[in-house]
Amino acid sequence: MPSNPSKSAAIVAAAEADEIGYLSSPKTDMMLGIEAIHNACREAGISTKDIEGIANPGGANSYAEYLGIVPKWVDTTAVGGCSFQIHVAHMLAAVNAGMLDIGVVVNGQAGYSRRNFPRGAAGGGGGDALGPDAQFMAPYGVMGAPSNYSHAMTRHMHQWGSTKEDFAQIAVSTREWAMLNPRAIMHSKDTNPNGGALTVDDVLNSRIISWPLNILDICLVTDHGGAVIIASEAAARSFRTPPVWIAGAGEAIGHATMLEMKDFTATSAAASAGRAYKMAGMGPEDMEMAMIYDSFTITVAITAEMLGLTKRGEGPSLFAGGRTAPGGSFPVNTNGGGLSFNHSGMYGMQLLVEAYRQLSRTAEDGIHGLAGKQTDADSCIVNGTGGSLSATGTLVLTR
Amino acid sequence: MPDYNKPIPIPDPMTNKPYWDGAKEGKLMLPRCTACNRFHFYPRIVCPTCGSRSIEWTEATGEGYLHTFAVQHRASGGWAEEAPFVTAYIDLREGDRVFTVLRGVDPTKPEDIMKKIGALCRIEFDKASDDVSVPYWRVVG
Repeated sequence: MPSNPSKSAAIVAAAEADEIGYLSSPKTDMMLGIEAIHNACREAGISTKDIEGIANPGGANSYAEYLGIVPKWVDTTAVGGCSFQIHVAHMLAAVNAGMLDIGVVVNGQAGYSRRNFPRGAAGGGGGDALGPDAQFMAPYGVMGAPSNYSHAMTRHMHQWGSTKEDFAQIAVSTREWAMLNPRAIMHSKDTNPNGGALTVDDVLNSRIISWPLNILDICLVTDHGGAVIIASEAAARSFRTPPVWIAGAGEAIGHATMLEMKDFTATSAAASAGRAYKMAGMGPEDMEMAMIYDSFTITVAITAEMLGLTKRGEGPSLFAGGRTAPGGSFPVNTNGGGLSFNHSGMYGMQLLVEAYRQLSRTAEDGIHGLAGKQTDADSCIVNGTGGSLSATGTLVLTR
Repeated sequence: MPDYNKPIPIPDPMTNKPYWDGAKEGKLMLPRCTACNRFHFYPRIVCPTCGSRSIEWTEATGEGYLHTFAVQHRASGGWAEEAPFVTAYIDLREGDRVFTVLRGVDPTKPEDIMKKIGALCRIEFDKASDDVSVPYWRVVG
């Protein structure tokens, strides 16, 4: 009988690259990732040479080589922005099985700097010319994630009677958190001309991109590097940094292309969260905060429903009346989210970093001495969503 | 034909030839599983419903129902000239779903298009080149 891996490993450190956001002088993906690993190791009091396992979407091998280490465990699962939640799940299982004691999940992504790379160096990313996306979707003028996700929002409005105003509340709540995070792009008018206080009307009056999605329903495109160090229970207790326990973890894939999304108002997060709750022996009622992938406001609404935080169709209502905002009873996306803090392309890493900081009481990390976004939550549900509402990874983290 | 300025798919001759051959003749060809009798889309060599590999190409009615849509205000290439335009998912009469640019609706009135969700739609084809005709769908109900 396999043993339950719950809390057999902990996150013991989380850090970002030296500089994130809109970098004034560009850095590569690898530079951003290596800075983050280095900073996380320094925080934890270990050397990069102590790392036994590496996880990164598609590039664990390159990171190992760059660091000059020979890992005994790797995971290059690449299913979009939720890959990092799934890496943590896999690493938890591997630690529980005795395969490693100390590992790192890393991402560096020059989402913004990429435009300044030498011509031709930005990568093709054309995908498979004979695949279903190229054959049956690309001919119709869709351009990137916003033009896909909007179809899900329309269906939610049709099926559940939600409105654009309802979704705009999500962006407003998230912006309030960003205003407490000086590293957030939209922290204030000083950090960005469009930053600072935001109203529902601002969202509704912002530029329309793919109806019903306005630009302020849509995440930023920034640079980021992030890394979290994971250690076995025994090793975690020897670190100088506070452990945040991985109580539950689950993963699921609903589809790859949006053509195969059976219910446009549901994701596989119901399944991945179900597994995570079961492993943790906890339920939605036990969660004191949430970090929810917010590529778009619609992503958050559907996910809140899938995680059991609201009834089906009522996702946007979670964000009404300041409940999820600073000072509210159920904080959500306390870093300011992909909407207003930072979104480099695969935002699941930012979720992990902030969840660790909140539960380890280091949420002011990087900007010392500013009171603000630290909450008193003792548990956090973290949900990444990857692809076109395609894949999900869910973690239940506790102090 | 020469004025078709949208992206023209390169048909996959290994998996989808009957689909694109059908389109040239103005027909919607769909893969149907002879074991469970279900249609599926996109075309595969295995039935996603029951797992059988007994797949047969069958002419479909070319009718379906509007499932959901979006109005695209930002696009590139030939589509940029057309923006705003409406993209949509159509539930095929035979089952499963396709993606398309939807015709017969006013992109400046999305609230009116909302009322058309569930409405009958019919396929039509644009000749994009000598080799490829691209399917579009039009709201008729």
